[in-house]
Amino acid sequence: MIRGDHTFIRGTEQDDVEALFQLYMLDEPKAGLLDARRERLLPNRDEIRDLLTRKEITEGGFYTVEGRTGAIAGFCSLRGLSTEAGYAEYSIHFGDSKAYESPVADEAHAFLCERAFVRLGLRKVLAHVLSSESALTTFLQRSGFSSAGVQREVLFAQGGWHHLETFVLNNPTHHVYERSI
Amino acid sequence: MPFSTTTFIRRAERDDLDTVVAWMENEDFQRFLYGDPARSPKQVREKIVAMLGRAVGHTMPGGIYLLIDSPEQGPVGLLSLQNISWRNRSCSVDLYIGKEKHRNGMVAAGAVYQTLEYCFHELNLHRISAYIYSFNSASWRIFEMTGAVRELTLRDHVARDGVLHDLYGYGLLRSEFDAFRVRYHRATEGLSLKAMIEALGASGTEPEV
Repeated sequence: MIRGDHTFIRGTEQDDVEALFQLYMLDEPKAGLLDARRERLLPNRDEIRDLLTRKEITEGGFYTVEGRTGAIAGFCSLRGLSTEAGYAEYSIHFGDSKAYESPVADEAHAFLCERAFVRLGLRKVLAHVLSSESALTTFLQRSGFSSAGVQREVLFAQGGWHHLETFVLNNPTHHVYERSI
Repeated sequence: MPFSTTTFIRRAERDDLDTVVAWMENEDFQRFLYGDPARSPKQVREKIVAMLGRAVGHTMPGGIYLLIDSPEQGPVGLLSLQNISWRNRSCSVDLYIGKEKHRNGMVAAGAVYQTLEYCFHELNLHRISAYIYSFNSASWRIFEMTGAVRELTLRDHVARDGVLHDLYGYGLLRSEFDAFRVRYHRATEGLSLKAMIEALGASGTEPEV
C-alpha cells in the first residue's frame, strides 16, 4: 500500500467488487471502462469478481484509491502495456467528478506516473476520454497531458454518438532510442 | 478517368497459409507490421493459423480476414477487419500487400475501395478506423483518397532502424464514404463490389465474400 498525504493506494482486490460495480453502473459512459472494441460493458458482480482474478490485475496494473478515512474514492490503472511502442494506457476513475479537482486525483496521477516512467521505464502513457467526460479532460490537461486528436463517433450510447479524444503524456526523462544492432 | 481492376477480395482460407507466412517472414514486409520483430517463424505461423482458423463464417464475427487475389498475379495481400463492434457499428482495417511492386498501385487502392464498400454496404458499419505508420505513405494516401480523415497523430510512436516514427489514426464515416462514391462515381464504378462479382462471374470464379 502506498500512503500519500490524502490517499491510500493499493492493488484492487475481491473486496472492492461493489465499488467497481457502482462505477460501471454510472449513467455517463467512461472511456477507461470501454473494452477493446470501445463497447460499453455492463458487467454483473460475478463478472467483475472474475475480472479481478486476471493476471494483469493480480500481478499489478489495477489499483484502488482510498481517501484517508479508508473509503474508496476511485480506481486507477495502467493497462495494455505495449513493449514495442513503450507505452501503456493510463486511466483514472472517480465516482464523484469533483474528485478530479482534488489532491486525491493528483496523488493517484503521481502514483501512476512513478510506475509508468520510473518502474516500467515507459516512453509515454496514453489516456482516452469521451467527449462527455469534461472533468477528466480538464484534469488531464492540468496534469500535463496534451491531445493527440479526436476520433469521431466512436461510441454509441445514450441514444447518440460520442467522440473519443486521446491524450499523451511523455516520459520527461526518456532518452531517444539509438540503434544498437 | 474510370478505373478498373481484375483484383478481387475473398475470405482467407487455410490453403493461403504458406503464402501469408512467406509474406510475414519477409524482412522488408516486417517493417510495416506491428508486433515484436524477434518473433520466431514458428510463432508467426501459429499466429496466422489462429487468425485464419477463426469462425469467420459466423453471422457476427469479431474479425474478418480477406485475401486480395488476382487471376493474373495470384494472392497479393491480406486485409483484416479487426475489433468489429456490432454495437458501435465500427471496425479497424489493416492492409498488408505482400508483393512489393503492388504497394503503391491500383491493386492496393482497388482492394481498399472494395473492402470499404463491403464494410459500409454489406456489413452496415458506421465507422472504419485505420492505424498507419507515417513512413507507410502509400497506405495512408490510399485512405485519404477515399475521404478518410487523419484524426490522431501519436508522435515518435514506433522505432524502425533506429528512428522513431509517428503513428496516424484515420477515421472514415459512412456518410463520408458515400459522398466520395457519389462524387467519383464514374471513376470508381469499375472498382465496385458489383463490378468485381460480375468479373468473377464472367471468368467462372465464384466470389466468397
